[in-house]
Amino acid sequence: MARSPVLRSTAWLWLLATVGVLAVGFRQAIFVAPTEATMGNLQRIFYYHVPHAILGLVFPYINLVASLGFLYWRRRDPLKALTADALAVASAEVTVLYVGICLGSGMLWGKPAWGIWWAWDPRLTTALILWLIYVSYLLLRRFSPAGQIGVLAAVLAVFAAIDVPIVYMSIRWWRTQHPAPVFGGGPDSGIDPAMMPAFLWNLAGWAMWGIFLIAFRFALERRRQIAEQDAALQAIEASLETPQ
Amino acid sequence: MTWKTFFDFSTMAHRHLVFVYVGVWALQGGYLAWTAWNWRKIRSPRS
Repeated sequence: MARSPVLRSTAWLWLLATVGVLAVGFRQAIFVAPTEATMGNLQRIFYYHVPHAILGLVFPYINLVASLGFLYWRRRDPLKALTADALAVASAEVTVLYVGICLGSGMLWGKPAWGIWWAWDPRLTTALILWLIYVSYLLLRRFSPAGQIGVLAAVLAVFAAIDVPIVYMSIRWWRTQHPAPVFGGGPDSGIDPAMMPAFLWNLAGWAMWGIFLIAFRFALERRRQIAEQDAALQAIEASLETPQ
Repeated sequence: MTWKTFFDFSTMAHRHLVFVYVGVWALQGGYLAWTAWNWRKIRSPRS
C-alpha cells in the first residue's frame, strides 16, 4: 500500500514525541514540582495516578462510539462494521490498562496515606466495577462463539459506558474516603500553580501514549481481520477447485 | 527530589512511589511490546 510508509513514519514520529513529552513529565514530577506540605514525596504518585484516571474515563467513550458504529453498520456495511469493531477492541484493551493502573497506583498511595490498601468507598468501588466490566468485555470477546462476538460485545460496551459518569460523579454525589475533586470541585479545590506543569506534561504524555496504543492495536486488529478474510477466501477458492 | 532520594527505600512512602513509577512504565511498555510482537507474528497478507 502506498500510504504505509507515510503512516509508519507518522507513527514513529508520534511515538518519539510521546516519549519526549513523558520524559519531560517525569522530570517535572520527580525533580521540579515542589514537595507537598502534608503528604511529602508520596504526593508525586498523583502525577501518574490522575492522568491515568482521567484517560481511563475518556477511552471508554471511544469504545462506545465504535460499538454503536458497529451496531449501525453491521447489516448496512459489514466492512465498516469490522473497522468499528477493531477500534472497539483496541479502546477496550487500553481502557483496561489505564483503569488498572489507576486502581493499582491508587492502592500503592492508599497504604502509606490511609494505612489500608483498599476501602469500599463509592469512587474506588465504581472504578473497580468499570475495570471488571471491561475485563468481562474482553473475556466475552475471547470465548464467545464466532459470528456473535461483535454484537454481544457491542451491547455490553453500551452498558459499560453507563458506569463512566457514575465513576466521575461518585466523589461529588457521595461522601467518600477518596480525596475530594482536585479539579472542578469548588472554590477550595485545585493544586498549587507550581505543580500544574508536572500534571499537564504527564496528562499530555499519557494521552499521546494512549492514542498511540489504540492506533497500533487498531492496526493490529485490522491486520488480523484481513488475514482471517484472506484465509477464508483461500479456503473457498480451494474448495471450488477441488474436482467433483 | 534527586535520583538518590527517589531511590531511597527507607520508608514505605518512598518505596511505593518507586513502585508506581516503575510499575506504570513496565505495564505500559509490556502492553506495547505484546502488541508489537503480535504485529510481527501476523504478517500483512496483502503486502
